[in-house]
Amino acid sequence: MTFLNYFKSVSTWSADEVREFLREKNPEDFNLIDVRQPGEYEQGHLPGAQLIPVGELDARAKELDPNKPTVTY
Amino acid sequence: MSGGINAWNGLVASGAPEAGIAYFPDDEKPEKVVVLAWLLEEGARRFYKGVEELLEDKKSIRLFKELGAAEVRHKSQLVKLYRELFASGPETSDPFATEELGDVMESGMHISEALDWVKGKGIMEILDYSVAMETNSYDLYIKMERRVKQKELKTVFNSLLNEEKTHLQRLTSLLEERV
Repeated sequence: MTFLNYFKSVSTWSADEVREFLREKNPEDFNLIDVRQPGEYEQGHLPGAQLIPVGELDARAKELDPNKPTVTY
Repeated sequence: MSGGINAWNGLVASGAPEAGIAYFPDDEKPEKVVVLAWLLEEGARRFYKGVEELLEDKKSIRLFKELGAAEVRHKSQLVKLYRELFASGPETSDPFATEELGDVMESGMHISEALDWVKGKGIMEILDYSVAMETNSYDLYIKMERRVKQKELKTVFNSLLNEEKTHLQRLTSLLEERV
């Protein structure tokens, strides 16, 4: 096994796919998380996004409903 | 979401190299996990050294220098651990001397590709990219710590994951300062 075999590529949604998802679903049907820093969030964020900076994710993961899909950016 | 907020706002994504997620087969040997950790630390050290040489801002240079120095310490910890638990050769030999270093770092990204990408980028983009790298590193050590059974391995991986978390906090603090 080579070093690279330890890594799998991750599929991500495009902005258009996220737009479509948000349009089709109700806000209470998903978690929408902004993992950037507070200053970046204040400058602008997706409608309804909850701010959880990446460094706080492990401590605050319990705030997310595990039964709902989660979109992060 | 690919491209983050810039893509949402209709801006052209700046094409950061694609990151992958680490995966171990269930039966992976613990010594292989230690070797992987060492290789990732070496990759991160080379990346931080390359970034440091591109920066002009003193505070950022100092941070990247310190991050690189931390990776050197992490490598030493891993060599010591490997020798104690797995190596049978003389203590003076480097247990990882025969490992193929290649051009790969955390997340399976190519170091040369990552360094090419950061050239000409602003400090915010470089910090963003480094935050993503440290996040993956933190995540990887959590997985490693969970995977291994031996107490000595758990202790070292736990120490490393806490240090990576500190690096992540330092990078995000600098990022927040520069917003």
